Amino acid sequence: MADLSIAVRQVGDVAVLLPAGFINAHTVREFEEALEGLVEGGRYTILLNCKDLTYISSAGLGAIMGLIETVREHEGDILLSNLQDNVFAIFDTLGFTQLYRVFADEDQAMAAVAPERKG
Amino acid sequence: MDHAQFRLIIPSQTRYLNLVTGLAKRASLAAGLDDATAAKVSIAVDEAVTNVILHAYHGEGEHSVELELRFTEQALEIHIWHSGQGIRGDQMVLPDPKEYIKHPRKGGLGLLLMSRFMDEVQFKADEVSGRNECCLIKKIS
Repeated sequence: MADLSIAVRQVGDVAVLLPAGFINAHTVREFEEALEGLVEGGRYTILLNCKDLTYISSAGLGAIMGLIETVREHEGDILLSNLQDNVFAIFDTLGFTQLYRVFADEDQAMAAVAPERKG
Repeated sequence: MDHAQFRLIIPSQTRYLNLVTGLAKRASLAAGLDDATAAKVSIAVDEAVTNVILHAYHGEGEHSVELELRFTEQALEIHIWHSGQGIRGDQMVLPDPKEYIKHPRKGGLGLLLMSRFMDEVQFKADEVSGRNECCLIKKIS
């Protein structure tokens, strides 16, 4: 298995990004390029479905932090779902669960975004 | 009881980070720490070794990073040595998470994760050998 593989699919207005593997200083560039590609393509509402993400270091957090202002300036957001316990612990320890909306699964994230997109 | 310890030397390249974090996790479990704590120790080690590779050695891959794991009855100690640019304990300035959230930016979170996930984080310089050390300690309760 590769260190990191990233799948992207579009669900309505939401770009769902599924990183599989781990994100650290070695793999972060690939993750960063995937995120930047979405934003450059005008897709500002991004859901990170982390069901297959086993690990993320501060390098990966930095990649997300680097784009949060840009997507919000365009009335989008970066959402998180399906966090494994150790990944949640990293976000929570640093207080990032206040900055990002975290959902138990993808369906809940989509349900939360749908009314906003209609409104 | 004898205190076990062993050493690993890796090239200063990020491709070996996963090897080191896997080792740190298994060592934590062997020391008697639970799964969640072992995961936190492995993240702290990732951050410490990443700092050495990217900041102490400025991303130059031809250097080496030496790790020593020490198992005592009270704690798991992870010592990380390098001969790059050192950091002193009084230079370890942790970002305030609340300020960080108000003004998001890249970087600066590695030290915070290390300090939150370990019981002790120490930076030392050995003037005789000219090497620098980062020492991470996790107590075994």
